[in-house]
Amino acid sequence: MADHVPSWFRQYVILERAALRAQLQYRVNFWTTLMGGVAYQGTQLLFLGVLLSKFGVIAGWGFPEIAFVFSMRLASHALYVVPFGSLMMTDFIVREGDFDRYLLRPVSPFLQLLTREFRLMSLGDGVLGIGALIIFGLHAPVDWTAPKLGYLIVAVIGGSLVETGIQTFFCGLSFLATSTFSLRIFADDSITRFSGYPLTMFGRGVFYGFCTAFPMAFIAFLPATVLLGRTSDVPLPTWLTFASPVVGLAVFALGYAFFIRMLPTYTSPGT
Amino acid sequence: MTAAQQVRAFRGMTRAGTRSVLIYRGDLLTGAVTLVIQVVLAIAVWRIVYSGRGPVNGVDGRTAVAYAAIAACLQSALLPWQFSSLPMRIRTGQIATDLTRPLGLMWQALGQNLGVLLARLPLGAIGLAAAGILGALMLPPGSGELLLAVIATVAGAMIAMLCNLIVSMVAFWTLEISGPLIVYRFGSSFLSGSLIPLWFMPGWLRASIEWLPFQGQVYTPVSIYLGQTRGGMAVALVGVQLAWLVVLTLLLQAVWQRARHKVVVQGG
Repeated sequence: MADHVPSWFRQYVILERAALRAQLQYRVNFWTTLMGGVAYQGTQLLFLGVLLSKFGVIAGWGFPEIAFVFSMRLASHALYVVPFGSLMMTDFIVREGDFDRYLLRPVSPFLQLLTREFRLMSLGDGVLGIGALIIFGLHAPVDWTAPKLGYLIVAVIGGSLVETGIQTFFCGLSFLATSTFSLRIFADDSITRFSGYPLTMFGRGVFYGFCTAFPMAFIAFLPATVLLGRTSDVPLPTWLTFASPVVGLAVFALGYAFFIRMLPTYTSPGT
Repeated sequence: MTAAQQVRAFRGMTRAGTRSVLIYRGDLLTGAVTLVIQVVLAIAVWRIVYSGRGPVNGVDGRTAVAYAAIAACLQSALLPWQFSSLPMRIRTGQIATDLTRPLGLMWQALGQNLGVLLARLPLGAIGLAAAGILGALMLPPGSGELLLAVIATVAGAMIAMLCNLIVSMVAFWTLEISGPLIVYRFGSSFLSGSLIPLWFMPGWLRASIEWLPFQGQVYTPVSIYLGQTRGGMAVALVGVQLAWLVVLTLLLQAVWQRARHKVVVQGG
């Protein structure tokens, strides 16, 4: 399997470049979509800004802390959506029968799903995510040292893998139910709207739900508590909170395993 | 075509729009479940934000929670993803068939959009029921306010439909319009007051938003229902909505007049 990694990467780069060229045909769309990415995440930032300017703290967390959690989430989201964003279109590909062609080509179907389209909107996400992380990271009450910076980078990568894992799981589900669009929008929307909050504020039961059934606590909140020195807020063993970036790998592995497991259940719509 | 035939054709388009939503029952069911979860979380956020606090900007916690719940439900009915099939039909060339139908294209699109809206109404109702069970809803101060809120809701839905259609018309000029649609969707979700009520916004932001049609979609009906906007002010806000309906209708007509010369039938 290790031998395949370079060739997978090469295939990915070739296909993604072709997808990007296809998208760049439409100039107006390029700029508006870029703005779309900024607008989508930016409205949430605006929401938090307006809310905190009126209320000061939410559940004992002030603006610099919440903004930092939020910016970690934004950066993770950007890392997911730039390379993996087109997984959102799997339903459409399965329903229209395009997946038949994917099975015929000598490239992994998962890789073809990834490179179906280059999501321009994701570049807007990327700009905003990295920008916000730098700005709010500097304003956060954290004494930045090299290990902490390293932890931040690993945490952001882990967070992006959590989101990728959830979306990959839905791709597997697409083979069973032809429309999983509502579920995907729900996952995307819930992560956008709620994963930037101190998730313990929803109560223990809901918080444990966010650690297991819908693991969005690992995207930003749990690693952020480590960096902010607030692990005592979390009703989990401290070592587990510290290990939260690793969970991303596990979520992705589970999602991918489910996808591979469901692959044989694909039935062509015959178009 | 006589007026009666046109009405029948319009109803036919509405039915088709409704069916296009109802056919994906699994999607509708997950849509309902997810709306309930989001309503519950939104209620929780506002309750936590307000915990142990008195009124902020003259708005108490109960009203803010009710606003968040109703706005989320209203928005899920008004602005679903993939609102109009028009851009897709232009892209695939199906627009050629649409143009040969005796009913005007704009009426076809509006009829279909109305159908989608009607099919999604039960979803909103389920969300409201969940909010009611959690004790997050409030009754309007009087029957006058209720009546005005109903009128404002209908006007808000019409404004949303017209805005959606005008934005989808961009497809006549550039085939790939996911960008404009996304900017519009997220811009309007903030500007309509569905994410955060206008009364919490800083003065300059609120003053700018009041010049746009979006507040009529969510903020106007909900704030009238909750009695935050009352009397002459409430009537004035509904007046603004009606004025926007006229402006948007004229705008749609103007855009369509130009767009019909731009129709390129792809391989049709």
